[in-house]
Amino acid sequence: MFEPRIVGFLCNWCSYAGADKAARAYPPNVNVVRVMCSGRVDPQFILKAYKAGADGVLVLACHPGDCHYKEGNYKALARHRILLRVLAEHGIESARCRFDYVSASEGDRFIEIITEMTDAVRALGKRS
Amino acid sequence: MRVKIGVYFCNCGGNISGKVDSELVRRALETGCDMGYFKTCELMCSDDGKAYLRDEIAAEKPDRIVIAACSPREHENTFMRVLSGAGMNPYLMQMVNIREQVAWVTPDVRLASLKAAALIKGAVKRVAFHKPLEMKSIEMSPDVMVIGAGPAGLKAALTIAQTGRKVTLVEKRAVIGGQPVLYEEVFPNLQCAPCMLEPMLDEILHGDYAKNIEILTLSEVVELYGFYGNFIAKIRKTPRYADMNQCIGCGECIGLCPVDVKNEFNNGLDSRKAISLSFAGALPNVPFIDMAACLRARGEDCRLCDEACPLGGGIILYDDTEEIVERRMGAVIVAVGASLYDAGLISNLGLGRLPDVYTSFEFERLLSSTGPTGGQLLTRSGRTPRSIAIIHCVGSLDSKHKEYCSGICCQYAFKFNLMVGRKLPDTQIHHLHKELVYPGKEEYFLYKRAKENPNAVFIQYKDIDTLCVTEAEDGIMIVNSSIKADMVVLCPAVVPSKDNGKLNETLGTTVDMFGFFEELHATLDPVMAKVRGIYIAGACQSPMSIQQAITQGMATAGYALSGIVGGKRLEIEPITASVDADRCSGCRVCALVCPYKAIGFDEQNKKSSVNEVLCEGCGSCVAACPAGAINGNHFTNDAILAEIEGVLACLNQG
Ligand SMILES: Cc1cc2nc3c(=O)[nH]c(=O)nc-3n(C[C@H](O)[C@H](O)[C@H](O)COP(=O)(O)OP(=O)(O)OC[C@H]3O[C@@H](n4cnc5c(N)ncnc54)[C@H](O)[C@@H]3O)c2cc1C
Ligand code: SF4
Ligand code: SF4
Ligand code: FES
Repeated sequence: MFEPRIVGFLCNWCSYAGADKAARAYPPNVNVVRVMCSGRVDPQFILKAYKAGADGVLVLACHPGDCHYKEGNYKALARHRILLRVLAEHGIESARCRFDYVSASEGDRFIEIITEMTDAVRALGKRS
Repeated sequence: MRVKIGVYFCNCGGNISGKVDSELVRRALETGCDMGYFKTCELMCSDDGKAYLRDEIAAEKPDRIVIAACSPREHENTFMRVLSGAGMNPYLMQMVNIREQVAWVTPDVRLASLKAAALIKGAVKRVAFHKPLEMKSIEMSPDVMVIGAGPAGLKAALTIAQTGRKVTLVEKRAVIGGQPVLYEEVFPNLQCAPCMLEPMLDEILHGDYAKNIEILTLSEVVELYGFYGNFIAKIRKTPRYADMNQCIGCGECIGLCPVDVKNEFNNGLDSRKAISLSFAGALPNVPFIDMAACLRARGEDCRLCDEACPLGGGIILYDDTEEIVERRMGAVIVAVGASLYDAGLISNLGLGRLPDVYTSFEFERLLSSTGPTGGQLLTRSGRTPRSIAIIHCVGSLDSKHKEYCSGICCQYAFKFNLMVGRKLPDTQIHHLHKELVYPGKEEYFLYKRAKENPNAVFIQYKDIDTLCVTEAEDGIMIVNSSIKADMVVLCPAVVPSKDNGKLNETLGTTVDMFGFFEELHATLDPVMAKVRGIYIAGACQSPMSIQQAITQGMATAGYALSGIVGGKRLEIEPITASVDADRCSGCRVCALVCPYKAIGFDEQNKKSSVNEVLCEGCGSCVAACPAGAINGNHFTNDAILAEIEGVLACLNQG
């Protein structure tokens, strides 16, 4: 079976902490790069990930209103929306680039997102 | 020169080695990255493990270190300290989380090992780009500015002054003490308010530490710039027209003044002179001239107050002018209190339309011995009320007005009940309430006492719009077609003061959805504003009692005292952003995205630059700069791009 390779950008304060709390087995397909805030995720990181062979990219942030730096996640979301349009022009489906929120206590939510994302990208197949 | 990168794999006492095969990991790392050596260790965070790491650094002399172990959230600081202790710059290390995010969640040993190898490869590639970073430090001013001289601000000022530190206390009004100096008695124990507050006010004005407190009345902060440890405030002092230092407060000047104006301290229920002491017992005990009302403002050469002064000339200062003074401080405490919701907006309650409908503030003054009636309860037409209706929850608990509970209204309504009961034992009291709240160890007892008043009736209503206050004969009102009342007292929601918005802008802080000053964290840091070095205390943060306001005042003093200690320097975390001026195009996108106002602009060179003290290192500007001119220390583009390549490289093989 095709196993997708996914890079996950997690902010240090909520989503990375949430990932640390995930206490059940989940698919090993997402490799995490820790950043201080989702607002630090430069679109070029995401493009770089695809170039280096990623089949999908995941950006996880603190919930709206909870960003450790007040509003980095709003910036990240706005940037994500624009990026999806750019990616579409390059033939990269929107399901290969997901933005979502995980709080420091939502270990189960993290597992859910990782599982959904892995399944979705697996269904899309290898990025050509 | 090739950098020597040492990888340490922690078994975590079997926690990791039980699921991740270090041998498999080592083999996967031999190609595709620049690993210098690979070693395993049993329990890196134990005392033995830390000693081992220290010895390793001495023996191997690595240029960079990767530690594959637990979450960096758990032990990054621990290992950074070991590096520092071993004489290695702590930022030349990268941790890889192969416990929480690999071993504990990946049952298949082969898959877990490959994933661990990928993450470590990312770290090895990344760490090559790490630069040694140093903590910097700058001097801090130990002085503090407190804005608002109510219970919260006064307690903060006093606590700080008692340690010998200088405080500038800025108060908008002519008097200090905040709202409670206008009350006769205070819940929960119906203590005499002036007796309780005066010792504190006296200590502020004349106590052992008074010399450390500069009180600026009739003053407002108009500008604040700088940052934690080094703020500069511009304060506008409007003239008082009386010499604060020489006046003895005898009040001789007041009697002769020919001008009467409504007394705002009594909510306009009586009048005062153009020169006034506010109310009996007001402190500082120095009159002020309301120049808008004074005959001199109309060009007349009235000098009656000056001539009345028994100390001779020079105390009344007709030529006093507005002044902007500048003060430097390390921290700012905001304690500007709150105000009441405009109950006139709920027109069926009759405020402003019917003379004997009062707000709770007005009623406080009617009960007060320093108030317009000297504490005698009388209707506007001078009658003794035989029945009083108190309407709770006016504008609170109501999505059409303010949805929150104002918390204190029930308590002061019970206070009113008991005070009326004592003054007029035959007067009936109707409490109309939506809810009744009495949390805490004393509050319920006050309710019980109010309920035991034989003349008191409690009636619950559902919707404030269904309440109706109408005028019947002889100035008697009818509440809800059945209750007769000579006086109706409204308990309006506690709301942010009108000029909160302006002050918030001046300070660069934030307010919440209701307009109260917003805390950094509602549960953990309720008295810190979102701007470092600015603290919030009292009713400007949320409706609260005097006791809570005092507690918060002390809490802010605690932060100011522990954060800024005389002689201590402010340590600046090195994970900050910096602008490469050569590449900056001056577009100012960065300043727009920075949540901390940390980015300034040099108008001359048209370049942005980051203030390292204010920068919290979120990296938003780094990602946003269209010219790629901003470098985010430790999370540089180079480092992150290398890490991305690394975490994918290994998967390429597996
Ligand atoms: C009718 C009523 C009765 C109450 N009775 C009681 C009671 O019996 N017991 C009790 O515990 N609590 C009572 N409370 C609550 C009590 O009033 C508050 O807890 C208390 O006033 C909060 O103190 P504070 O210092 O936060 O604010 P305040 O007392 O409001 O003081 C704030 C000060 O800041 C000044 N200020 C405002 N804006 C500025 C500015 N921009 N620049 C400079 N200065 C400024 C104000 O002039 C004021 O002096 C009652 C409240 C109401 C409405
Ligand atoms: S975003 Fe970049 S180019 Fe624009 S002002 Fe800031 S540093 Fe200069
Ligand atoms: S890194 Fe964040 S806090 Fe620092 S200057 Fe940039 S946007 Fe502001
Ligand atoms: S810190 Fe989590 S999104 Fe900003």
